[in-house]
Amino acid sequence: MNRRHLLAATGAAAVSPFIRPAGAQTLTRATLRLKWLTQAQFAGFYVALQKGYYREAGIDLTINPGGPNLLTENLVASGADTFGLSGGTDSVFAARERNLPIVCAGVMHQQTPFVFVTRADGPIRTLADFRGKTITTWFTGANFVLLGMLAQAGLSRGDFTMQPQQVSVQPFVDRQVDVVTATRYNEFFTLMNRVGRDNLRSFVPDDHGITFPRDTVIVSEQTARDRPQMVTAFLRATIRGWREALRDGKAGVDAVMSVAPTLNRPHQEFMMEEAGKLMVAGGAARNGLFWIDRPVVQAAHDFFLRHEVIKTPLDLAAAYNSSFLEAIPLADRIA
Amino acid sequence: MNATAMAALRLLGGVILAGLVWEGVVVLFGIRPHLLPRLSEILAAIAFTPGAYWAGLQRTAAETLIGFAAGTAVGIVNGLVFFRAPLLRDMLLPVFVVSQTIPVIAFGALVVMWFGNTLMAKAVIAFYLTFFPVTVNTLLGLNSVDPRQAALLRSFGATPTQILFRLQLPMALPQIFVALRLGASLSLVGAIVGEWFGDNTGIGVLLLQAMYNESVVALWAAILCAALLGTGFYALVAWAERRIVFWGAEQ
Repeated sequence: MNRRHLLAATGAAAVSPFIRPAGAQTLTRATLRLKWLTQAQFAGFYVALQKGYYREAGIDLTINPGGPNLLTENLVASGADTFGLSGGTDSVFAARERNLPIVCAGVMHQQTPFVFVTRADGPIRTLADFRGKTITTWFTGANFVLLGMLAQAGLSRGDFTMQPQQVSVQPFVDRQVDVVTATRYNEFFTLMNRVGRDNLRSFVPDDHGITFPRDTVIVSEQTARDRPQMVTAFLRATIRGWREALRDGKAGVDAVMSVAPTLNRPHQEFMMEEAGKLMVAGGAARNGLFWIDRPVVQAAHDFFLRHEVIKTPLDLAAAYNSSFLEAIPLADRIA
Repeated sequence: MNATAMAALRLLGGVILAGLVWEGVVVLFGIRPHLLPRLSEILAAIAFTPGAYWAGLQRTAAETLIGFAAGTAVGIVNGLVFFRAPLLRDMLLPVFVVSQTIPVIAFGALVVMWFGNTLMAKAVIAFYLTFFPVTVNTLLGLNSVDPRQAALLRSFGATPTQILFRLQLPMALPQIFVALRLGASLSLVGAIVGEWFGDNTGIGVLLLQAMYNESVVALWAAILCAALLGTGFYALVAWAERRIVFWGAEQ
């Protein structure tokens, strides 16, 4: 009898994390896999979580940070995670090409989040000056954006040295390389601190007609088909959190730093502001946060097809589904 | 003053000396902070958010200990089974060897799919790195027992179980402890690598965050925590070895 009590107690203890006080409605358990470690880039999700917006939407959400060895598309396709904030249009293309059953339900960054940075006092003033220079970049898509930009200036692969960029921007700071790739919200902060804002010159892909939307919200095809209301509820709560984070950046950073207190606050505040700009740019201004700007996605698709990053044209109507967003009134989506 | 207290004092003196040398060298040679920050700066960073480091230390310690304990238990049982059933050894040991050739990074991605972002996922990776050396060393230790000693006990009427627990297992202990000391550091590596697959708490998370934010002070703070944990755990295993294998193994 005693043992049975003990077992029951142990069982209850083991299960108890899953039993939540019953609210007005039953909650659906779900997880969100981020594309990267906890940082202000994801502030809106943390605000929505901490303020209970997901619970109000009927979702008991757990946020799982990403990491260098994880591919969000795989985790969502395999069902390990319900929602994903994945790399971007590029990784969605790649996943769809591999027949991974994932669907993009929203796009967070409307503009290309990275730029190519040189020294303002250096020899590079225009794209044509890249000839013969050493460039480091990420070989996960940024390399093709750069190739596309340089092709417009009449440069081809052999005209410069392109190397994979490691974690640190220090080689650029130490003048070992001429051009470094930086996201506007992250590496650029480190560069500003070490080199100085006025000593940097940025080459922006969007200024050269290449827009490469990134940070895509994905779900599995099964979730999209069987539980569309949940996807819409998730997006609604997410947008609610983001609208607050964008209005009050400090509160957004607070929400992030309550989870990751060792982060550097000035860095996170800079990230909050810069990532916010990417979110409200382009089509999001008129159509609201997380808008899937079809012509831009199409252009990115065609660009990748032209550079043979993807081998065959993809069915973009199936890969990008705006219906979950469109179920939310536009007034609630505008930042 | 007894010998243990003296040894502890000497150790403390050494640590303080190393700290002073670190601080002095950085100041004296003007080493740039993003190459090597001053020790005092690192300690100040830990003191600024002690909760995060303490929580990380506890979490990683728990993952390490669970993985290590499971790896030790399974490894010793494996060793015993393989010792008693050579056929099974010939069938399974090669499979174990193959399992160990899978890079832990590749294995980690799978573990996340299977177990999610749980403490158990990290413990499984720690286990994965620990159980193999323990298996091999247990088998090695058991095989190195002089068969004539076993024969002698048997002639006195000892049962196989008695021979195992009174002769073979004790004789194998020095070998097993070699694997345990190895496993102490391996299981910590496993837990930290496991935390690189997306989590909120742990020394590995702090390491990763600091690395990708290029926050060198935070990176060193996490390294110090990992070193503290690794050294502490190793010392614990070494202490257990001295107590259990009292007849003197290699120290």
